[in-house]
Amino acid sequence: MVFLYNNGKAYGYDDLLRSLNKDASYYPYYKTSDVYAYFVNLIKALAASKPLVLLDSDINPSEIEGLDESKINVAESIASASFQSMDEVVAAVKVSQSEITIFTSGTTGQPKKVVHSICTLTRSVRMGEKYQGQIWAYAYNPTHMAGLQVFFQAFENQNTLVNVFNQSREYVYQQICEKGITHVSATPTFYRLLLPFEQAYESVVRVTLGGEKSDQHLYDSIAKIFPNAKINNVYASTEAGSLFAAKGDCFQIPEAIKDKFKVVDDELLIHKSLLGSSDSFKFTDDYYHSGDLIEWVDEAQGLFRFKSRKNELINVGGYKVNPGEVEVAIQDIEGVRQAMVYGKANSILGNVLCADVVLEAGTELTELDIKKALGAQLQDFKVPRRIKFVDEISLTRTGKMKRV
Amino acid sequence: MGKKVLDILNEIRAAKNMAPIETIGADTKLREDLGLTSFDLAELTVKIEDEFDIDIFEDGLVSTVGEIFAKLEK
Repeated sequence: MVFLYNNGKAYGYDDLLRSLNKDASYYPYYKTSDVYAYFVNLIKALAASKPLVLLDSDINPSEIEGLDESKINVAESIASASFQSMDEVVAAVKVSQSEITIFTSGTTGQPKKVVHSICTLTRSVRMGEKYQGQIWAYAYNPTHMAGLQVFFQAFENQNTLVNVFNQSREYVYQQICEKGITHVSATPTFYRLLLPFEQAYESVVRVTLGGEKSDQHLYDSIAKIFPNAKINNVYASTEAGSLFAAKGDCFQIPEAIKDKFKVVDDELLIHKSLLGSSDSFKFTDDYYHSGDLIEWVDEAQGLFRFKSRKNELINVGGYKVNPGEVEVAIQDIEGVRQAMVYGKANSILGNVLCADVVLEAGTELTELDIKKALGAQLQDFKVPRRIKFVDEISLTRTGKMKRV
Repeated sequence: MGKKVLDILNEIRAAKNMAPIETIGADTKLREDLGLTSFDLAELTVKIEDEFDIDIFEDGLVSTVGEIFAKLEK
């Protein structure tokens, strides 16, 4: 069974077992762009219950406060392992006592440190016969929460991962065909890169979206590209891991942890018992402000929908604009592939609403066309005042859109 | 420069379904004569900044076309 396909190489679970048993050392602070080596180090640390700090391969250590650069990529010895089988390794990982430190992606500001246990990281992993034999497109940064979620789901069931993080559209499609990928979990931004629809890919049976708000237009396109796939959403935050079950375009708070949530001024508050630990968390009566604004669909059943991020609202002349809402409206216009809405500081209004727009090949739209289309359905203050046509939209390390 | 400013003004008017203007003079008033709101003025500043790299409203209010030209000529 193949554990990981990465850059044209295949690593089997037998290779993984040998790598784990090989050296009696690991890197507590490991920075590498070799995804296989990264996973080996992660599993080693967990199986030995050793602490681990997960660093992005492209991170500049000075971006992280209090990180001692001299510790990076310095090996530390551990008791030598002699695992007989992968089942033994998985069993050891499941009861790991490791403290795993990860960093928020920080769409704005400095990355913040959050310490997790194996429990918070693997809370949503599903095991069993029906989870066998899956082949996952690995489309997230492996050091971030969403990437860890997919990794544990696949690894604990000894499934196959195909690394497609930060790869081109052509490469992703080629891997889906060649490896017979059955599961894709990625950000809406990743799926938008796969548009427009040209061909159906039948091997994919499950598509998961997470990390950002998505829209109906995108769902419809995904349904065409992956006609056999069930599409669902996932909510995983750096702070809390995965918490909710998806129901269509809504989420449901599981009955068992229902009393661990509150909603104040539309913002979702999470009880500290569900979180990792961090100095940067601020609690009000033991509840953490998630910054996610939600609306109830059915409060009694714990069913809700995400509206936006609290700190993402852009103040334009005293009006608060939700950039996600405007992005959805732009993306609904025929011929638009992707849009990003942001505020630009302005001496008259505080911020002027601006949009970067990527068009589908062969379409011609002017700034005026887009403004007219938006004017027909949005209030005037929500219509971007400057629209730039760009070839691509820059992403954060997590693969989310980077707001300027 | 005058032509470029005229183009930007007409772009803003077009989005508001207002007819294009043919000429502008130094004493043309942005709000009264051209019908620009504060949102339109903000768009004007952003677009002039893109073009000429100058924020015309940075140090105080501008109310006529002539005042824009004066800022751009500095």
